Amino acid sequence: MSVPGWRALLVFALLAALPLAPGMSRYYLLLAFDALLFGAIAMSLDLLMGYTGLVSFGHAAFYGLGAYATAILMERGVQSVWACIGAALLVVGLYALVVSYFATARRGIYFALLTLIFAEVVYTFFRYTQTFGGSDGIQGLPDATLAPGVLIDTPLRKYYLVLVYLAAAYATCRVVVASHFGRVLVAIRENEDRARFLGYNVQRYKMGACMISALLTGVGGAIYPMRSAFATPDLMLWTESGEFIISVMIGGLGTLVGPIIGGAFFTILRDKVSSVVDWYFIVIGGVLIVIVLFMPRGLLGLRQLFERRSGRAAA
Amino acid sequence: MILEVADVSKRFGALAALTRVSFAVEAGQVFSVIGPNGAGKSTLFNVVSGLHAPSAGTVRFCGEDITGLPPERVNRRGLAKTFQITNIFPEISVLDNVRVAAQSRAPESGRAASLWRRPDVDGAALALLETFGLAARRDAHAKKLSHGEQRYLEICVALATSPRLLLLDEPTAGMTPGETRDATALIRNVVLERGLTLLLIEHDMSVVMGISDRVAVLHFGEKIAEGTPEAIRHDPRVIEAYLGGGDD
Repeated sequence: MSVPGWRALLVFALLAALPLAPGMSRYYLLLAFDALLFGAIAMSLDLLMGYTGLVSFGHAAFYGLGAYATAILMERGVQSVWACIGAALLVVGLYALVVSYFATARRGIYFALLTLIFAEVVYTFFRYTQTFGGSDGIQGLPDATLAPGVLIDTPLRKYYLVLVYLAAAYATCRVVVASHFGRVLVAIRENEDRARFLGYNVQRYKMGACMISALLTGVGGAIYPMRSAFATPDLMLWTESGEFIISVMIGGLGTLVGPIIGGAFFTILRDKVSSVVDWYFIVIGGVLIVIVLFMPRGLLGLRQLFERRSGRAAA
Repeated sequence: MILEVADVSKRFGALAALTRVSFAVEAGQVFSVIGPNGAGKSTLFNVVSGLHAPSAGTVRFCGEDITGLPPERVNRRGLAKTFQITNIFPEISVLDNVRVAAQSRAPESGRAASLWRRPDVDGAALALLETFGLAARRDAHAKKLSHGEQRYLEICVALATSPRLLLLDEPTAGMTPGETRDATALIRNVVLERGLTLLLIEHDMSVVMGISDRVAVLHFGEKIAEGTPEAIRHDPRVIEAYLGGGDD
């Protein structure tokens, strides 16, 4: 296995041991759940933003649709994790196929705009459809089951559920980025006109990237109600999409690991600040502006800065 | 005939960029299209390579009609093009530029397996860089190369897709006379070694005369002459077009 492979394995081993850390209360386990979930989704978005050069303002719809897939099934007595994830993949996949087909047919700002508009339509649909609870969404869901009789009912079990999801999503992204397909995505980001003259059907590759990113996000959405016991239309609001984008930016575009850190950082910062003040976003906003202005390569860029410094000291 | 262009016209609104242009390129030939700036040379390349559909006329490649096919499909049939203004992938390494081009001919290309497999094209990519003297720069970002090196990388990227017909749009644009001489010699050698057919656009007559088997001359979007370099050099209509005239 390569050095980065070992390093990733080590990090996941540490994350798996995290619940053993002293002072890991119920509250912190669930905060860790939220942080890793947000990180995984930011990473999925990075496949589009960092590698393909497409900024999606509609990822909240993939996320929310995944959450509703779980909520609707659970409301009808289906509690299996696998059934919920399968349903989310199906629903999000169909929706993403339509969105990505139209959004990739146009270039530049139109992609961002079309993903946003589609997502707002989905939000409005769930917000005003009483069958799905309207603005209250679907509340009071039961615990999910891994197998008949095996409930995912404790914060510890929920934490491991999201950790497995993060690991699977990370492995998927790593493989895709290193593949033939991933190379073409980077070429499209760099110069999509030239990529066409090398024989690549650029729209098909963009759609492929959208589909993978959307499906991974949808699975994340499907897992969310298994922790929160609800799905609401707010999960699909455009501000949610904005927070995914911010997480990718502060973590470091095109690095996969950076956005995981960015998403986790954002989640923890929001949790800590909002427990102190109501106008928490002013504080978070200030921190984010500083990061974007002074660390254009994101939090992960700090590591490179540090490595360069220590390299110079050693020389 | 590897390439047949028949009665191709291209209009942009009221502007007739090309008017009933016809010519044919035999396999293994070096065929050049020359003409003053604005004669329609790049438009002709854009029509042949699929960027623009012609307003009228047909383009046949290896006997098959490719008129109006998009660039990616034209390229997959074995026709690669370089650009007059360098058009590479700036923020990735020189080697990665050539890799992404070379892998487009791998069996995985366009299949589901391309999502998890990475074809090994390093041998072919490095050999190309070696030929053009770029091997030592393989890990540099493409945008860090000098102008001359970028012109060579431009050709490497096109060649990496293993074309049968190579279209070079002013490959020596912006080079000094010395660099132009070297580049011309290198291009001729590569074309001979690989048994390629070359369609070349130039406005520098010295480049064309040295390496072409056949030359066509465009002027205001029309073909005004075609023949051997020697015949073209002495053609009064060509001299007229190049030396100013043209207002008649």
